[in-house]
Amino acid sequence: MLKPVLWIHGEALGPTNPALLAHPAAPAVFVFDRELIEAQRLSLKRLGFLYECLLELPVTLRQGDVAQEVLAFARRHGADGVVTSAAVDPRFGLLREQITAQLPLQVLEPEAFVALPEPLDLRRFSRYWRRAEPVLWGRGSAAAPPAPAPRWDR
Amino acid sequence: MRSVDSLPHDDLPRQFDNRDALEATLRQLFPQAPGGLSPIPGGRRAAETALAAIDPAAYGRSRNHLDGAVTRLSPHIRHGVLSLVEVREAVFAWLERSGQPPVAAQKLINELGWRDYWQRLWRQLGDGIWRDQEPLKTGHAPEHYAAALPADLLEARTGLACMDGFASELIQTGWLHNHARMWLAAYVVHWRRIQWQAGARWFLQHLLDGDPASNNLSWQWVASSFSSKPYMFNRENLERFSSGRFCRDCALAGAGCPFEASYEQLQADLFPGASPC
Repeated sequence: MLKPVLWIHGEALGPTNPALLAHPAAPAVFVFDRELIEAQRLSLKRLGFLYECLLELPVTLRQGDVAQEVLAFARRHGADGVVTSAAVDPRFGLLREQITAQLPLQVLEPEAFVALPEPLDLRRFSRYWRRAEPVLWGRGSAAAPPAPAPRWDR
Repeated sequence: MRSVDSLPHDDLPRQFDNRDALEATLRQLFPQAPGGLSPIPGGRRAAETALAAIDPAAYGRSRNHLDGAVTRLSPHIRHGVLSLVEVREAVFAWLERSGQPPVAAQKLINELGWRDYWQRLWRQLGDGIWRDQEPLKTGHAPEHYAAALPADLLEARTGLACMDGFASELIQTGWLHNHARMWLAAYVVHWRRIQWQAGARWFLQHLLDGDPASNNLSWQWVASSFSSKPYMFNRENLERFSSGRFCRDCALAGAGCPFEASYEQLQADLFPGASPC
């Protein structure tokens, strides 16, 4: 991809967004997802919070159909593809498919909070934490605290 | 301020004189979105200020109390304004700076772990986070729970000072202390017998940190479809962790408080058909 645009989404509105880090000079767009906003009846508080986050990022703001808006933004800048960061929301997968049908889309992974080999037993937090906690605390000279921590104290 | 329709290609505006101007523009752009702006501002500057103020040791000691030293980082983390890696590093830097032992930061690191855990589960379950992960352990059939929230709850006029206070704070600010979320969720699901999904949708409408994974799976934890028993509380617990601020002025504090009971009594009243744990 020689001349990409960046698609910024609501899971990565900070400077560690890997797409922004990889292409700091590329034009970037965020699209307020009209269908999602209406379906979930999102309050103005939530939209305002997002908007204020976006005002501190070098990004063009749009609203409407996300995939169509991203593709139109790419055409506007004569781009040969789109770069974005990975997202967990399954809706991201749908939008990604719609964009990929028309333009190459590269998805960059952000740095993991804790790197753990897959597959991981996620049936309860305690099972995950037995694996994750020693890895997290194993860095540097920090030693793992021994006591288990309950989620909500009764 | 430039009007919305004067920008090239119909891009949304980025210049505002103040928050009132931003709010006015947002009302124009999203006429169906209820309410106004939150008093909690978004953006990297606000996030960095909150991150610089964390005190992991005080957090560990007091986080269950409504007045405790909670970080309020969740809206910034939810939208990636701060990454979990950045917060993790800030906590470890605090440990080095303060000279405190690692155990001082254990609770906060644990909470970051919860965030990572929910996200990993979401990746695995997808939209399955909207379905019961396990059968309820309440003794009530799923169809005995109402599908929608009642008006008195949505309008914060149940008559219970605590629950009305939480509902008002949710609607006005878009943020609630974690313990308040648990109390409110337990009230909705167990005392009012409403499907957890209705409460989860309500929270997602309003919470600035509204993340379907953390939110829905925590509601399921309360409901008991993602835990071994339903979460409940009593007045003594709520009063203790809220310094009595609600009970003091509650019309039902003298008589009629539905939370005024021992856990054994509440278990018997709320879940009469449940198998013993």
